[in-house]
Amino acid sequence: MSELLSNLGLGLGVALHLQNLALAFVGCLVGTLIGVLPGVGATATIAMLLPITFGFPPVGALIMLAGIYYGAQYGGSTTAILVNIPGEGTSVVTAVDGHQMARQGRAGIALGVAAIGSFAAGTVATLLIAALGAPLTRLALVFGPAEYFSLMLMGLVFAMVLAHGSLLKAGAMILLGILLSTVGLDLETGDQRMTFGLPVLMDGIDFAVLAMGLFGIAEIMRNLQGNEQRDVVRQAIGRLLPNRDDLRQSYKPVMRGTVIGSILGLLPGNGAVLAPFASYAMEKKLAKDPSRFGKGAIEGVAGPESANNAGAQTSFIPLLTLGIPPNAVMALMVGAMTIQGIIPGPQVMTTNPDLFWGMIASMWIGNLMLLVINLPLVGVWVRLLKVPYRLMFPAIVMFCCIGIYSIGSLPTDVLFIALFGIAGYVLIKLGFEPAPLLLGFVLGKLLEENLRRALILSRGEIATFVTHPVSLGLLLAAAALLALALIPKLNKERDEIFTE
Amino acid sequence: MNPSRGDMDIQDRGLGVRSPQDLAGGLALLALAGLALWLTWSLPQGTLDATGPAMLPRWLAVGLGLCGLALVAGAFRSPGEGLGDWSLRGPAMVTAGIVAFALTIRSFPFGPVSTPGLGLIAAGPLSILISGYATSDASLRERLCLALGLTGFCMVLFADVLNLPIPLFPRSVQVLFPADWGMKTPLRLAAAILIGATVLLVLSGRKRNTGEVPHV
Repeated sequence: MSELLSNLGLGLGVALHLQNLALAFVGCLVGTLIGVLPGVGATATIAMLLPITFGFPPVGALIMLAGIYYGAQYGGSTTAILVNIPGEGTSVVTAVDGHQMARQGRAGIALGVAAIGSFAAGTVATLLIAALGAPLTRLALVFGPAEYFSLMLMGLVFAMVLAHGSLLKAGAMILLGILLSTVGLDLETGDQRMTFGLPVLMDGIDFAVLAMGLFGIAEIMRNLQGNEQRDVVRQAIGRLLPNRDDLRQSYKPVMRGTVIGSILGLLPGNGAVLAPFASYAMEKKLAKDPSRFGKGAIEGVAGPESANNAGAQTSFIPLLTLGIPPNAVMALMVGAMTIQGIIPGPQVMTTNPDLFWGMIASMWIGNLMLLVINLPLVGVWVRLLKVPYRLMFPAIVMFCCIGIYSIGSLPTDVLFIALFGIAGYVLIKLGFEPAPLLLGFVLGKLLEENLRRALILSRGEIATFVTHPVSLGLLLAAAALLALALIPKLNKERDEIFTE
Repeated sequence: MNPSRGDMDIQDRGLGVRSPQDLAGGLALLALAGLALWLTWSLPQGTLDATGPAMLPRWLAVGLGLCGLALVAGAFRSPGEGLGDWSLRGPAMVTAGIVAFALTIRSFPFGPVSTPGLGLIAAGPLSILISGYATSDASLRERLCLALGLTGFCMVLFADVLNLPIPLFPRSVQVLFPADWGMKTPLRLAAAILIGATVLLVLSGRKRNTGEVPHV
C-alpha cells in the first residue's frame, strides 16, 4: 500500500509538472474538439492528432495522447447525446436515452451526468491500474515466448468474437491484418517479403499510415455517401448540474457501471466495447420501471457512460503491463510509444518509472480536466456540431496529409493513406470491419516474433504451446470462447446485444 | 449500424446468389490470398525448428483463402446483404486531393521524374480545393475561404508552434527572402496574408449576399 502511494506520489509529481499539465489540458481540449465532430470516432481522432505530439518529450507526448483519447471519448458522447450520431461503437448506447433526454430539454443534465459518471469511473479505474500494474508486471516477467504467443492468440480470438457482424469476416480481417504486418524485410533472414521491390515497403507498412487510411480517409469516403441528416437538438441545453434527485437516481448505476467497465476493460481483445451494453442491460433489468428506458432514463446514460470510461482506462493495463494492445486505440498508443523510442511492455515500469506512473497519474488529472473543460464549453461544442460536413471533410483530408507527412517527411506515406483509404472504403462496403484488421496488424509482428522464438527454443516442437501450463490455459480459454461463439443460440444473442 | 444477418430479404438474386455482399467479399479475400501466395512464391518456408521468411505469410494466406471460400459458399446458401450503393465521386475526389498534396509538398523522385516541390502554401489549398469536389454542395468561394484560411492556420500550428519540418514555400521563392529574416518571418507573413485574404473573401461574400453565390 505504501509502495502504491509512493508510486502515485511520483506520478503526480511528474503529471503536475507545469508543461505536462499544459499538455494534458491541450490534449483534452483538442481531443474533444475533434471527437465532437459527427462521424469522427476516437480512433480517427487519435490517428489524426498523433503527429502533433511528436515534438514533445516522451512523457509529455504520451500524457497529451492520453488526454486526446479521453477528450475524444467524451466528445463522442456529447455528439451522441446532442445529435444522435454515435461516433464509435461505445457511445451507441449513450445515444439511446441521452438523445431522448436532450429532446426533453434535459441535454445539460445528460451531459453533466455523463461527465460526472465518467470522472467517478475514471478515478476508480486509475486506482485500479496503479494497484494492478506492479503485480501484473511481475507476472509478465515469467512469461516466455510460448505464453506470449498464446496470450496474443487469445486476445485475437476475443477481438474476433467481440467484433460487429459476422465472425468469419472478423476472423478474415484479423488474418489480413497479420498478413499485412509481415510485409517488409524479414528480421531474421533479411529477405524481402511482399514488397513489390519497392524501397518504401522495405521497413514494412507504417502503422500510422494504415490507421489513418483505414479510419480517417475511408471514414470520410463512407460518410460522403450518406445524405446528411443531422438532428441537432433544438431544445435548450438546460442546466448542467444534476440536482439531488438526478444524483440519487444515478449514483448506483455509476458505481455498477464502473465495476462492469473496469473488469471488461481488462480483457484482451477489446472487452471494453461490451461494457456500455452490459451496463445498459443491467440497469434496465434492475430498474423498477424498465419501460422508462429508451425514453430518456437518466440511469441509461449514467451507467453506460461510466462503464465506457472505466473500460477505456483499464484497457491501458494489458498495454502497460504486458505490452499487448487490446484494441485499436491502444494499438495507436503502441505506435506513439515506439516513435518516442519506448517499447511497451513489462520493462517500462522499471526502466521508465516516471513515464509509467506519470501517465497513470495524468489519467486522473485528465478526467478532472474534462469535467472542468466540458461543462462550461458545451455551447462551443453545440456550435461545432452545426458545421456542415462539406466544410469539415476537406479540412480533415488536409490535416491527415500534413500529419502523415510530418511523421517521416515522405510523400509516399501520403500516397499510401489514399490507397488504404480506398481499401478501407471497399472493405466497409463489403461488410468487413477495419478494427480487427488494425489489431491483427499491430499484434502481427509480436506474434510472429514470439512464434519463431518459441519454436527455436523448443527445437521445432509445436507441442511447446500445450506443454507450458500457462500457455495451455490461455489456448483453452481461447478455444472455449470460440466454441461458445459458434453455438448458434449464443451467437444469436450476441447479435441482439449489438443490434439493440 | 450492424449488418443484420436476418435481413428478411429471402429473394433470390439470380444465379442462386443470395448474398451478393458475401460473394464479393469472399472473392476479394481469395484475390488477396492469391496475391500473397504469388508474392511469397520464391521465398523459402523453412522448417518448424528453423522457420523461413515465407512460413507465416503463406499459412496466413491459406487461412485467408479458406475464409474467402467459406464466404463464397455461404453466399449461395443463406440470404444476406446486397452490394449497396457505391459512389465513385467521393472516393475519387478525396483520393485526387491527397495525391495532389503528395505530389506538390516537396520535390521527390518517382522513378525518372521528380515532383515539383511547391511546399504547403500550394499543397494545402490544392488538397482542399480538389477534395472539396467530392460533394456537389459546396461553392467555389466557400472552398477557397476554407483552403486559404486553413492553410494559414496549419502553417502557424505545424511549422511555427509545433516546429515540424514541413516545406512551406517553393524553393525558387525561398531564396528570395532576405537572409536576415530567418525561418519564421516569411512563414508568419504568409500566414497573415492567407488569413487576411480569407477574411476579405468572407466579408465581400457577405456584402454580395451569400444567396447568390454560384454553385459549382
